Amino acid sequence: MKKALSLLVAFAMALSLVACGGSDSSAAGGSSAAASGSGEATATAGVCWYNFGDTFIANARNTLNEAAAADGTIKVVDADSLNDVATQTSNINNFYTQGVDYLVLNNINNNAIAEIIEQAKEEGVTLIFANTNSPTDEEFAMYDKVYHVSSVAEQSGTIIGEALAKYWNEHPEADRNGNGKLDYIMLLGIQGHYDTEVRSANSLKALEDAGIETECVQETICNYQRAEAQNQVASILQARKDDIDAVIACNDDMALGAIEALKAAGFFGEGEYIPVVGVDATANGVEAIKEGTMLCTALNNPVTLGNSVYKLMTVLEKGEEPTQENIGIDGTTVEGHHIYINYVGITADNTEDAAY
Amino acid sequence: MTTKKKFNGKQFLVNYAIYLILLALIIVITVISPKFLSLSVFKDILMQSSVRIVVAMGCMFIIISGSADLSGGRMVGLSSLIAASLAQQATAGLKFWPGLPELPAFVPVLASMVVGVCFGIFNGLVVSKLRVPAFLATLGSQMMIFGFSSLYFNKAPNNSQPLGSLTSGFKALGGGSIAGVPIIVMIAVVVMIIVWILLTKTCLGKEIFAVGGNLEAARVSGINVFKIQMITYSIAGACYGLAGALEAARTASATSAYGQSYELDAIASCIVGGCSVAGGVGTVGGVFAGVIIFNVISYGLTFIGISPYWQNVVKGLIIIGAVALDVRKYSSKK
Repeated sequence: MKKALSLLVAFAMALSLVACGGSDSSAAGGSSAAASGSGEATATAGVCWYNFGDTFIANARNTLNEAAAADGTIKVVDADSLNDVATQTSNINNFYTQGVDYLVLNNINNNAIAEIIEQAKEEGVTLIFANTNSPTDEEFAMYDKVYHVSSVAEQSGTIIGEALAKYWNEHPEADRNGNGKLDYIMLLGIQGHYDTEVRSANSLKALEDAGIETECVQETICNYQRAEAQNQVASILQARKDDIDAVIACNDDMALGAIEALKAAGFFGEGEYIPVVGVDATANGVEAIKEGTMLCTALNNPVTLGNSVYKLMTVLEKGEEPTQENIGIDGTTVEGHHIYINYVGITADNTEDAAY
Repeated sequence: MTTKKKFNGKQFLVNYAIYLILLALIIVITVISPKFLSLSVFKDILMQSSVRIVVAMGCMFIIISGSADLSGGRMVGLSSLIAASLAQQATAGLKFWPGLPELPAFVPVLASMVVGVCFGIFNGLVVSKLRVPAFLATLGSQMMIFGFSSLYFNKAPNNSQPLGSLTSGFKALGGGSIAGVPIIVMIAVVVMIIVWILLTKTCLGKEIFAVGGNLEAARVSGINVFKIQMITYSIAGACYGLAGALEAARTASATSAYGQSYELDAIASCIVGGCSVAGGVGTVGGVFAGVIIFNVISYGLTFIGISPYWQNVVKGLIIIGAVALDVRKYSSKK
């Protein structure tokens, strides 16, 4: 009994330790302030990123902090949501307690957009949704200080689907089993994840729009992880090696895992070529395109995201509304309260565009 | 006579349940897709299991000594980053350590093992000297290690970019073969042999079992419990470090997300493989079968095209079944 009780206490302590760990890291994140540029900062922005460990987020975060440090008009404080809705919520509340003027939210709590807007309205804080789902028109109507800066996720799927369609039409031998259909493996990221859904759906739609008949050999969830994709593709290749014409991956890491498995099964180099497409244009992804293994990737430029968020805040700070002119960043489209960041397709022809 | 025979049959079932489940799984998958029974599938599964085997071997020392370790997965992650960062080609586009010359493959492997041992010693000290319960001590070090991984990964000029462009010598550890046998599998086999010798043929091994079986009895009979705890955590750390290097070599990359929850898989493999949660019991063969069973599930179910979510259902059921058997096995002996 005593032992059971002590175990229970230990477990409770462990839980609270996890919870403390979460809030600690947000406090630690908070100290990475980037002020003291040219003049005194006139406003403070709290930024909640979904996960500091994500490559894309790390780049966007560095850009935003550097832009703030260089300009100095707005002080930027950021926090890591650790890919956890509860942590995100407590980070938001911390920022409200600190009295921020802008809340930049790389939102992962997609079911609570209306509540988040409601809370920002009560606090009188300007709310900027960054690199996440857009609020609906009704939700925008709730509060006039809501903005949305994000890439159009649909574009990424369309770009890789079109690249695959182009390859298919130019290479009749790509139909390896001669059934007249493009047989593909689909590597999904996280189930229900917005990017995963639109990337897979739009890549297939682009193929369909190009008049190509497709057949799914297997759809598998690899959580955006290279090792998982490598393991699963190895297994699928053993089972149905001759039925596979292409691999569509929802990010580069999974595409690269698939390429490792394909190499191990004798593809590429001396062997047959199988087109593999991914999204993100990571350094390794671009390297694989140069090497001739990966066919295409789509670049969502984190530098453009970071700069656009900062530029939007400086424009708002001057009391202006964003327009194409006063934002003035290449690769963006301003529409009302939306700033769209355009994806760029990267193939062997333009790998230099991936350097940012 | 007949009753005795019946009893033995039951005992056999309980003792060899893990192997029987494995056999049943393979038969079911083969019936659905006969291609499963091939040498290349067998090789694939062994290659995918190798890293997990090395992690589980490390974890086994800790479980046998009656302790716990939740930091293994993150240690694999950190050491995969360290190994990959030291194994890059001189001409890598995005070099983690600019100006670092190409190093022979053993340097990154040794470096990651040293880091693993350091954190193992840290775990051992916290558990034995600060007397923090192992479960909490290693939960804490798990967080710290992930923190260090993220800091290392985010170091300029890398800025959290997945590491790549590794030397072919290093990648051969994960993907190369000698006479048709994958090098990574040979490494896992060597680790298993060393662990088997350590546990069954040396005094140290007997002392580890003694400490796990009954800590007080071991202490009274003159075993230096502090020494044993330091040694088990250090050996485990070395295994995690090696596993991290192998994971980087196998996937030709590394990120801070590597190794996540590998410790739980390793603990599950140990328990399913017959290690007692209470300590003092465990065999290399059993743990090996425990690792293989989980890999056969994930490989086999993907092979026959079943959703990965079913894999989790099946794995969970097997863990529960194994622990239920474990409880039975030892309660029937008493």
